[in-house]
Amino acid sequence: MSALATSRRSSPLGTTTLAGLKPALFITLVSIVAVVIAAIVSEPFRSPTNVESLLFQMAPLLLVAAGQAIVITTAGIDLSVGSMMSLATVLAAASSSSAGAVVAIVVAVGLLGGLGNGIGVVSGVNPLVMTLGTMAIFRGVALLVLGQPGGVVPADLLTPLTTVFGHVPLTFLLALGGVAILWLASAETRWGRALFAVGGDEAHARRARLPVRRTLLIAYSLSGLFAALAGLALVARIYSGDPNVGDPFALDSITAALIGGIAVTGGRGSVLAVIPAVLLLALTDNLLNLAGVFSYWQYIAKGVILILTLAAYHAAGRPTGLLTMARGGWRKRGGAA
Amino acid sequence: MSAVQAPPAASGSRGEQLRRRLLRSRELLVSYGLALALLIAFAVATPGGWEPQRILTILGQNAQLGIAAIGQTVVLLSGGLDLSIGPVMNLASVVSSAQMRGQDGNIAQGIAVAIAAGGLVGLVNGLLVSRAKIPPLLATLAVGTIVQGGYYVYTEGQPKGGVAPGLQSAADAKVLGSIVPWWLVLWIAVWIVVAFLLYRTTWGRRFYAAGASPRAAWLSGVAVSRYVVGAYVLSGICAAIAGIALTAYTGSPSVSGADSYTLQTVAAAVIGGVAFSGGIGRLAGAFAGVAVLVFLTTILETLNVDSAVQYVVQGAVLIGMMLVNRRLIGRGSGSAGR
Repeated sequence: MSALATSRRSSPLGTTTLAGLKPALFITLVSIVAVVIAAIVSEPFRSPTNVESLLFQMAPLLLVAAGQAIVITTAGIDLSVGSMMSLATVLAAASSSSAGAVVAIVVAVGLLGGLGNGIGVVSGVNPLVMTLGTMAIFRGVALLVLGQPGGVVPADLLTPLTTVFGHVPLTFLLALGGVAILWLASAETRWGRALFAVGGDEAHARRARLPVRRTLLIAYSLSGLFAALAGLALVARIYSGDPNVGDPFALDSITAALIGGIAVTGGRGSVLAVIPAVLLLALTDNLLNLAGVFSYWQYIAKGVILILTLAAYHAAGRPTGLLTMARGGWRKRGGAA
Repeated sequence: MSAVQAPPAASGSRGEQLRRRLLRSRELLVSYGLALALLIAFAVATPGGWEPQRILTILGQNAQLGIAAIGQTVVLLSGGLDLSIGPVMNLASVVSSAQMRGQDGNIAQGIAVAIAAGGLVGLVNGLLVSRAKIPPLLATLAVGTIVQGGYYVYTEGQPKGGVAPGLQSAADAKVLGSIVPWWLVLWIAVWIVVAFLLYRTTWGRRFYAAGASPRAAWLSGVAVSRYVVGAYVLSGICAAIAGIALTAYTGSPSVSGADSYTLQTVAAAVIGGVAFSGGIGRLAGAFAGVAVLVFLTTILETLNVDSAVQYVVQGAVLIGMMLVNRRLIGRGSGSAGR
């Protein structure tokens, strides 16, 4: 760091780290306004039990969306996270061992599965197809481990997972911590710098002698790991294993990352923006539930929110906007090949 | 393979021309080769597997996947991606059944409304992608989710009406000495129409140009966005036809019966050698891709393989084919399939 750069610093974090937060400002404001309005309008929304269930609901999506955000930053995508979450829940419920062993197995499986995705992507398979393939493989393995929803989660694992401080679940706090760690890793470390460079323009990053392969391998491994951890957070809600329970999270995590302003073209966005995005999504579900509306209105609401956010990014003319590109994000990598 | 024809050329260069054409369509050869290998495996592994009638019946039963995959291929060729195919198929199922109400007299009306609905969804997709500049993955994902919510709310999970018996019996009927299923004929008919559009018209030429390099096409005076919209509308219509075919085959409307088709069409197109970068690949590839998926599933099912293992095998085949195609396209002239 040169003297100039250090003199401008007013916080322990790097200037680029703070600059990276700017795009998240819009979605943060929207989600705060939404929470305030919801709290004023809806009586049941303010109840402590509802807040608790809202936070329980947010924990898995926070984790999986943070990992997804890292992969999307590389201009890739990870469709296998949903199946990985299911796999983690069945591993937790089927292996009647101690909590420590279960967590170790889940972490190892998450890292290995993610690494497999990374190896495929590094050897030139389109990320969408690669993770589509591993999605099927993880689902198959999950079904082999546990054919039906059920199983028994070890008590010494379930107790910490379902711990609640006041009305704040432990899983929610851990999820927030996980997002923060990924954010700092992507914004402050050498790997993070390479991550944005690879996502911005892989060919340039390669010419600049950046470790492109290693960066991608780590990104996909992290996504697998966080999906597996999200599976554990999900166990805190369903108290059992289910080989299909993670399915909707593949698309939900992508939606959350994109609403958070992670550019689908790669190279832009801040992982921290995932928090308000997840809050907004969970809030919508929660309010529609409380209003007693037929539950499938949630689908329509989600789709409309996605399109509206994209349009808003476009209107703001931010280059983070997902809209600068008319065509698929993977075109760049495929075209460079 | 039938997809590779030697062009009428001077006798001296004919062999050379054929060789070049074969080389250009390497990924087609690989996918058809794999389909053939699976067909042989199917014939060997199952009793009575060589009977053409049985093979044709299996293909006919999967015509809906084939028709939907044609639409997905066209969108991929335009440089996009359509993740709303499953929802549109369900929409067509729900809408056509509500129109038909189980009456043969209402078949035409039901089909027309379903196709119009599919085309409309495609139009919205196309406009969001080409005008609002929303990336295809997101636009079609969002639209698909909204469509899904729409028919769930409309039907409250219980589809109204019913499939006309006339349409239902058509799904089981066969032509040409009662060997070829009608639905296989329908599939090939849709394929011929789209192939004619792509390979025998200026629209198709410009479409390929716009997909391969939108900038270059735009500079040469091609109204790129019009072709992009066209691709999504075509895909929506194909998905609607596929949805009707599926409903006629299963005999009852469903709000979730086609959910798996979105990703299956992507897999079929990719196995058939269609690249995500747009403009690379041929329509015939999707046929081979569907055949690979269908025979693979049938073999595994006949061998009583656990459905869990089936998932693993399908995923591995998809990844393996992508690696092979990637090597093929990466080597040589790079203008594979154009």
